[in-house]
Amino acid sequence: MSISWLVAQAIVNGLVIGMLYLLMSIGFTLAFGVMRIVNFAHGQFYMAGAMVMYVCVAHLNIPFTAAIAVAAVAALVLGAVVERGVLHSFRGDDLNGMIATIGVGMIIEDGALWAFGPNPLSVDSGVSGILRAGPFFVPAARVFAIGLSATVLVVFLWFMQTTRTGRAIRAVVQDSEMAKACGIRAQFIYPLGFALGVVLAAIAGATMSPLFSVSPFMGGTALLKAFIVVILGGLGSIAGAALASLLLGVVESVTSTFVSASLADMLQFALVIVIMLVRPGGLLGKADE
Amino acid sequence: MRMSAEEAIPVAAAGEGQVWRGRLLKALPLAGIAVVPFIAGKTFWYHIAILVALNAIFVASLGIINRVGQLSMCHGAFAGVGAYAAVLVVMRAGLPFLVGLAAATVASGVLALVLGLLILRLKGVYFVLVTFAFGELVRLILLDFPSITGGANGIAGVPPPTFLGLALASHPSMYLFTLVVLALMMAFNSALMASPIGRAFDSIAENMALAQGSGIATRRYQVLAFTIGSAVAGCTGALLASYVGYISPETFAFSLSLDIIIMLVVGGRSSVIGPVLGALFLTPLPELLRGAVALQHILYGVALILVLRFLPHGLGGLADRVWKQLAGAEGRE
Repeated sequence: MSISWLVAQAIVNGLVIGMLYLLMSIGFTLAFGVMRIVNFAHGQFYMAGAMVMYVCVAHLNIPFTAAIAVAAVAALVLGAVVERGVLHSFRGDDLNGMIATIGVGMIIEDGALWAFGPNPLSVDSGVSGILRAGPFFVPAARVFAIGLSATVLVVFLWFMQTTRTGRAIRAVVQDSEMAKACGIRAQFIYPLGFALGVVLAAIAGATMSPLFSVSPFMGGTALLKAFIVVILGGLGSIAGAALASLLLGVVESVTSTFVSASLADMLQFALVIVIMLVRPGGLLGKADE
Repeated sequence: MRMSAEEAIPVAAAGEGQVWRGRLLKALPLAGIAVVPFIAGKTFWYHIAILVALNAIFVASLGIINRVGQLSMCHGAFAGVGAYAAVLVVMRAGLPFLVGLAAATVASGVLALVLGLLILRLKGVYFVLVTFAFGELVRLILLDFPSITGGANGIAGVPPPTFLGLALASHPSMYLFTLVVLALMMAFNSALMASPIGRAFDSIAENMALAQGSGIATRRYQVLAFTIGSAVAGCTGALLASYVGYISPETFAFSLSLDIIIMLVVGGRSSVIGPVLGALFLTPLPELLRGAVALQHILYGVALILVLRFLPHGLGGLADRVWKQLAGAEGRE
């Protein structure tokens, strides 16, 4: 095992992890872009997606891919309800809206704790084994998850780029005042944009449920990763999130292979603080502060 | 004639004496609640009361930072820095408790000063995110240096506070001590709010650009508020450590910062009494709902959203409104 092989395998692992962060972070950045609210409940929506998978696959015997569709629809409804019921009244009040999402997250997390208990649960996707590509090894379950994530991402980007509704959402992200002046119905776009962000989080949770164990507390770590990615990439920037999540995956994998996992974590947070000070708009974003 | 910062009360027309009489009258119900544990005389009541008082101080310190319009998500981490500083000074260096308390305050204050100078030019969301990242960084550092901090195991056997050679090992004495500290904190907060500094704080929260245009050194005041608030948090952390007798990095994790934010919002961000009310209503919940932790946090979440939605000034604002009505009724008689 040469050093160059180790580095290359670490990079491959990192890209795999990075892809997994991507869905999560794009949903987070979309919700921020549309609502201008930092969604502290994003990790809990991710957890909710995984929990729906657990119920569907382990208890109702619904096939894995069909269960993902169930999770997505459930998330769309949940997201729209949260936006209409809670966040709607905090429009234009970023700080209180953000605090309200903390309340939403607590209710979802502890609702799940109450319903499912604190023990880790597992979801079986039916895919196992290890794939070999040239000199590199990747678990098949991960390849499957990445394939699913990539499919969802392509559909999402197609929706955002080509459909009227997708373009309307992007217009609101760019300049909500101007979008409204052009006749875009904001009262429809806000819940939709937020709910789409929630759906992406839930699909991320659903896709990852066979790779990691599922528990009510899994949202915290996921939210942390989304935070880091989104700060690195620039709040509200989808391209930035894509670059940053792959970068984060690789940095994390290489540092934990060669140094230590806890140092990798510390480096991430230090990096976040430095980026915020030097380039508040993120690596690709424009500095708007 | 002095304009009180609590704008909900019509004090502008009242004289100085009446303002103070009003304040004393308002403090009476709280004083009544404060003596309940002494009357009940049960250890459990003392325990809850001590936690309420400590939380009230803690929440008030976050309130100072919030007064300049910033929300810190690493307040728990500053309490942690203070707690570890005090515990190390007392247990490793063998110095008296008061030296530890001072060390806690200074350590958190200096750290906040340095951090504040770096990050306080960030606004709103960006400030929140950096403080969040900083809180996690502190937790990871505490975990990663077990030779000094005890790592994930934490440090057990922290001695109770000693004051002028008197160990506050019993619950009543500890409660009395925390009450005195809380009263000092409220007096300090009150004086700060009424001082020119407090008014500068308010003007910054109200309209940053206008405050700057009026010649207020906004950044300096923001750093000052962040430093004072975090220093007091460090002091509270040290008190908490000496009361509970055990600290670990998880004690001061993000969930602590969250609890404190919720108490501040529920209690009310714009009054001296708010943090006390927030702590008073939310601290006993976990003790009353033991065995149903999930239910406790669901209630926290619901309370938080309802208060944000319907009581933007929190319970403190509600208390002021009730007080105003009572005073109005008296005036008409």
